[in-house]
Amino acid sequence: MSASRVWRWPITLAALTLFGLLSALLGEGGVWWALSWTALAVPLLVIVVCVAKSGS
Amino acid sequence: MLSAKRIKTWYLVHKWTSLVCTAFLLLICITGLPLLFAEEINDWLDADPPYAELPAGTPTANLDGLVGIGRRMFPGQIVVSMFVDDDEPKVIVSMAPSWQALSDDPRSSHFIKFDARTAEVLEQSKPLDERRLSFISLMLRLHMDLFAGLPGALFMGVMGLLFVAAIVSGIVLYGPFTKRLAFGAVRSHRIGRIKWLDLHNLLGVVTLTWALVVGATGVVNELSLPLFTLWQRTDVQAMLAPWRDKATPRQEGFACGQVAFETARQALPGMVVTSLAFPGNRFGSPHHYLLWAKGATPLTSRLFSPVLVDARTGALTAVVEMPWYLRALEVSRPLHFGDYGGMPLKILWALLDLVTIVVLGSGVYLWLARRKSPVEVELAELEAGT
Repeated sequence: MSASRVWRWPITLAALTLFGLLSALLGEGGVWWALSWTALAVPLLVIVVCVAKSGS
Repeated sequence: MLSAKRIKTWYLVHKWTSLVCTAFLLLICITGLPLLFAEEINDWLDADPPYAELPAGTPTANLDGLVGIGRRMFPGQIVVSMFVDDDEPKVIVSMAPSWQALSDDPRSSHFIKFDARTAEVLEQSKPLDERRLSFISLMLRLHMDLFAGLPGALFMGVMGLLFVAAIVSGIVLYGPFTKRLAFGAVRSHRIGRIKWLDLHNLLGVVTLTWALVVGATGVVNELSLPLFTLWQRTDVQAMLAPWRDKATPRQEGFACGQVAFETARQALPGMVVTSLAFPGNRFGSPHHYLLWAKGATPLTSRLFSPVLVDARTGALTAVVEMPWYLRALEVSRPLHFGDYGGMPLKILWALLDLVTIVVLGSGVYLWLARRKSPVEVELAELEAGT
């Protein structure tokens, strides 16, 4: 499998995590907090989906 | 593409950095969980009487009045500092038998908690050395320094650095170990070792940015004591040089603490003044009140500015510039604590912490299982697509 395929998801999740960490820190609450929670929840959801798929 | 030799080198880096730090990292992750909710747990365990129900905007009691009450309760003792909470209506006045006693034994200090509006005494603490360690303090000491002070903090900092090295080497190994698999594939039909290798890779790569940020900011936090000490011994001492040979005034001759608060507020409009250290405090100056003010927005509320106010006159001496390394330390704190985005962020932080515990645990399991199967065999298996 090519490097771009191996790293596509990890890089996307890393970018989302960084955005999530910074948006709550630099934003003034409100929508920035909601965006932060959503962005940081994605990696956890990815784990749930991958583990669920492997069990099926 | 990494050569087999390079992969083996990185594998050894990953193995040894992880193995050395895992036990301590597990302790850090486990104690970190209650620390995330320290405020809620402390509120829940708090046995102090509740604050009086008063209309919003009720003015704060005069701070010198609170100091006066403290002095009457403990005649002959000195006032060390005052903390005015900007979250709850409380003022904490810290006292000690004398500066000498405090210098000989910092644990001889005690505090009085006041309702900030009614000046009612809500709690009187025992001296620190007679106080029972609270659950949160116990977790914090285990998390920060293993009850070993500065050497313990530096040791935990080194463990944090090894954790960061383990993550970086894990990233390097992720490519060779997963190139034949779809992203997130967990071969649950395979033997335990393969299944757990897939899970270790999945959980590790998905949470790596969070773990890197929390790990690196944790290392920076472990340096806070030496960095603050460095600043006090260099910049602060240079600024206080003109007063070095002058005698420390007696507390009775001081300008009012309330005046010092007002002076600091006027010097830093838009900021919140939260604490005041009395002259003689080892964290301050023998001739000045040292006040700490912070910003009012989520980010600037992490950035503290020290203000020196002349203790005799109550006039402003200086707003002290913080050096870059302490600013970096202050900004790194929320990224370690996860307390800057409400309860949902704390819950996400706790879940990511739990995932990290599984990554650490599965790493130990893989090391135990792999002792019978060297990395070369594992890579050959992967190359063969089995």
